[in-house]
Amino acid sequence: MKTFTVGGIHPPEYKLTASKAIETMPLPAEVAISMSQHLGKPAKPLVKVGDEVKKGQLIGQADGFISANVHASTSGKVKAVKNAPHPGGNYSMTVVITTDGRDEWIEGCNTPAEDWKALSKEEILRRIKEAGIVGMGGAGFPTSVKLSPPKDKTIDTIILNGAECEPFLTADHRLMLESAGGIVEGLAIIASLFEGKAKSYIGIESNKPDAVSALEAASKGRGIEIVTLETKYPQGAEKQLINAITGRTIEEGQLPFDKGCLVQNVGTALAVYEAVTMQKPLVDRIVTVSGMEVKTAKNIRAIIGTRFSDIALFAGSMTEKTNQVITGGPMMGRSQFTLEVPVTKTTSGILFINNTLLASSRERTCIRCGKCISGCPQGLEPWLLATEAEFRRLEDAETYGLANCTECGSCSYQCPSGRELVHWIKYAKALLNNRRQRKTA
Amino acid sequence: MLNESFIAAVTSLGTLALLLGVIIYFVSKKFYVAEDPMVSIINGILPGVNCGACAYPSCNQFAEELVRTKDTSMTCPVGGSELAAKLGDALGIEMAEPKPVVCAVLCQGTHDIARPSAEYVGIQDCWAATQAYAGPKQCRHSCIGLGSCIAWCDFNAMRIEDGLIVIDEELCTGCAACIPACPTGVLVMQEKKAERIFVACNSHDRGADTKRACDAGCIACQKCVKVCPENAIVIENFVAKIDQEKCTSCGKCIEVCPTKVNCIVRHNDTLKTKQAS
Amino acid sequence: MEPLKLKVSYAPFVRSKDSIESVMYNVALALLPATVLSVYYFGIPALLVTLTAIASSIAFEWMTDRIRKKPDSCFDGSAVVTGLLLALNVPSGLPLWMVVIGSFVAIVVTKHLFGGLGFNIFNPALVARVFLLISFPVAMTSWPVPLSVDMQTAASPLGILKTDGIAALQGFSYMDALLGRTGGSLGETSAAALLLGAAWLFYKRYITLTIPLTFIGSTLALVGIAWAIDPANYADPIFHLLTGGLILGAFFMATDMVTSPLSLRGQILFGVGGGLLTAVIRLWGGYPEGVSFAILIMNSLVPLLDSWDLNDIKAKKQQSPKTA
Repeated sequence: MKTFTVGGIHPPEYKLTASKAIETMPLPAEVAISMSQHLGKPAKPLVKVGDEVKKGQLIGQADGFISANVHASTSGKVKAVKNAPHPGGNYSMTVVITTDGRDEWIEGCNTPAEDWKALSKEEILRRIKEAGIVGMGGAGFPTSVKLSPPKDKTIDTIILNGAECEPFLTADHRLMLESAGGIVEGLAIIASLFEGKAKSYIGIESNKPDAVSALEAASKGRGIEIVTLETKYPQGAEKQLINAITGRTIEEGQLPFDKGCLVQNVGTALAVYEAVTMQKPLVDRIVTVSGMEVKTAKNIRAIIGTRFSDIALFAGSMTEKTNQVITGGPMMGRSQFTLEVPVTKTTSGILFINNTLLASSRERTCIRCGKCISGCPQGLEPWLLATEAEFRRLEDAETYGLANCTECGSCSYQCPSGRELVHWIKYAKALLNNRRQRKTA
Repeated sequence: MLNESFIAAVTSLGTLALLLGVIIYFVSKKFYVAEDPMVSIINGILPGVNCGACAYPSCNQFAEELVRTKDTSMTCPVGGSELAAKLGDALGIEMAEPKPVVCAVLCQGTHDIARPSAEYVGIQDCWAATQAYAGPKQCRHSCIGLGSCIAWCDFNAMRIEDGLIVIDEELCTGCAACIPACPTGVLVMQEKKAERIFVACNSHDRGADTKRACDAGCIACQKCVKVCPENAIVIENFVAKIDQEKCTSCGKCIEVCPTKVNCIVRHNDTLKTKQAS
Repeated sequence: MEPLKLKVSYAPFVRSKDSIESVMYNVALALLPATVLSVYYFGIPALLVTLTAIASSIAFEWMTDRIRKKPDSCFDGSAVVTGLLLALNVPSGLPLWMVVIGSFVAIVVTKHLFGGLGFNIFNPALVARVFLLISFPVAMTSWPVPLSVDMQTAASPLGILKTDGIAALQGFSYMDALLGRTGGSLGETSAAALLLGAAWLFYKRYITLTIPLTFIGSTLALVGIAWAIDPANYADPIFHLLTGGLILGAFFMATDMVTSPLSLRGQILFGVGGGLLTAVIRLWGGYPEGVSFAILIMNSLVPLLDSWDLNDIKAKKQQSPKTA
């Protein structure tokens, strides 16, 4: 079984929803569609209060090179265009739509499937771009940008990421079981952009043998290798996945295409398939609603903009012990300050938990146990980076590889002294960023 | 026997000391760097806290530069006009009068004025908190209240009271070291006047949002703009701003300010009430 | 719909169950078989020494916390482990006031004067042992004979070897050493009980075997070479393994997280260095036993071994391609 070579940890899996089929969530009364659904510059809102919109209508225009289109996820009337809470922890420009219940598609969208092999490479890329597809694993990098690497880089390896190494999350797992055909087609479309010169892989952790066999069946004779990976966190991180499957290491400052690799999430592949063959923009996604404190954990198909409060009601609400609501997985997710926040294109999960570790000063001194080092998949010394950050020796932290940290959280998970190692590292990065911005300003 | 070892120790160590002393003497002669004696005089006058407010990394570098250029526009904000006069006397030139500045807080968001958001648990530092979310108050432009700026103040002029940073104007020298330490930008430098009126709000949200989040938030209602006899007030990005050059501290704007807790403050007043309470 | 009081913190939201307490109390638990066995062999005095060492360590920890105005750390388990290790490192007949002095040296001087748990350079219990050994050489080398009724004392096997040579060890039995029926400090006696505890720690993943194996391996290699060349004057490796503090030191003292290197490479060097020093002291040094000195000397090299890895990270960063 393949795995990455350096570090890694084994958190409990908590895959409570692995056997639960995807349920489609009923239309909420109101959706809040953020213009920041992706990494990069927010989209420019194209609608104003009072406008009638149809499902699939472009309401946010990509602004700049790294940005992505945003579409109305259902039909209705624009109620407000304002700054509203965003699951990223801050506020962002958001289009609030009162739904009319008809869920009507705009013309030219969601057409019957056509054969993508007849389309030119440019047309495929254009459709992916138009549909506003972004990486659905979590980072939300615009897919059309990722699929157009610089001319001097050759891609010889395409990897679909079905590792889903975060505890609790099963969205990708269910998707692989229920839409294996679409995922394989999506991968074929992506591979066709590189003239078939690249070898295709799908990496899946060993705790999902049913997904492995589903994809093996769907991809028979397509030249796709399904790779079973050891269940180890962070197997699904881009750099670790590349290392596990190809043995290559992405050095500090390098991007995957520098090593001839391209990684896409399985959900993204399905979205690519739907966008290219059916002209369907990215307006919904699979979300795992889980955690110990939610009444009925389930996998749901929710339209973009569905508020967490509506989802909580759909999942039978949560217990009174809930003290944190988290988007994404428990290792790299973010805790929310309000349930007003909406589902975005990168919301892979919503977890309702009772975090018993929340005491104001849990941090104690480092006892040099070395568990952060043995757990770090990037071969860093997190205890040192955190100490340098604590004493604001930011340049020193940089020389010890601060920028190489992927913030996977393995170090904080391991620390017996309860030190917020990854938070300190993030803190140092924020201060350095701020300092740079001041210098250039 | 005992004597012998004494003698051996004394002679060997003594010789070594003598040798090293001679080497030090020659090295100090050979590598002697001539320094203008004036620099050390100026250094003696300067506060010596190396705060960086003059844009030089240390007082010594400021002194060297001043002695070299005799630039009368160079000022030490910490020492103020008194120090400028002393420097002028020492150098025999007329130094420019520095405008004293002081740090002001554009937020009044104490616990009972600003409405709280979710509680923050984690590293007690404003920058760390803003990595997790918008901050412990509903207003995302407010003072976070964890005091990251305090560590940057060389003069002990800052403290957190009731979730809000408070500046001790007696101690603040206007060095501005704290300004970049604030992630939300509620700290600004203002000219130190006997009395000054300013809008103590940093919220660039629209009026309705600001009002929902805070009792002392500027809702950009324009009332103060209209009433100001000196036309010193403008609304910029949903927050009123008072031009300190034009302001005569008449206080008419404070009278018309409709917010529950006036977002416009007259500075000496707040200072007195803070001290009284 | 928001009766919830949400709290915001930073990821990750799940953490492993390890804590300083779990590490320390598991070490204490692992030392329990050896402690119980030593009480069985040496009787009430051994129990008194153990309890005094633990109680005085906790007391000194409590006092220094007060003086340093630090949050209470007297029950985080580190003081218990230090006290227990100190007890296992002294003879059972040691006057109790000397044990208290040892605790003072361990907790106050070695640990807190250097900054407290996590910042001490040297293993506290070992510094205390060496301090006592140098200060009170007679009391520290009067080893009561196990299971003796009248508290008679005798030299330890290693002591006999050092002073009287190998010929004096005629009646020595390996089985006695394994079960602890030889003279020695509380914890030095039974290799089997110590190994049982070490197995527990390894099973719970609180120690790795890198340091113990390299430490013991290199000691045995060197004494083995000496024995192979001249068996008439040097004892065999199994004798060296089972006597003295080699197992206690290698598994419980050298593996102390705070005072051992962080990386695998550093740990290997640490273990090999410590092992060779132990052998050199045992074979040719002035003291019969060298484990504590060897570990302390290697402790002082730990910052150097650690900085080696850091320099590697730096060098790797300088070589790495810079792309925009």
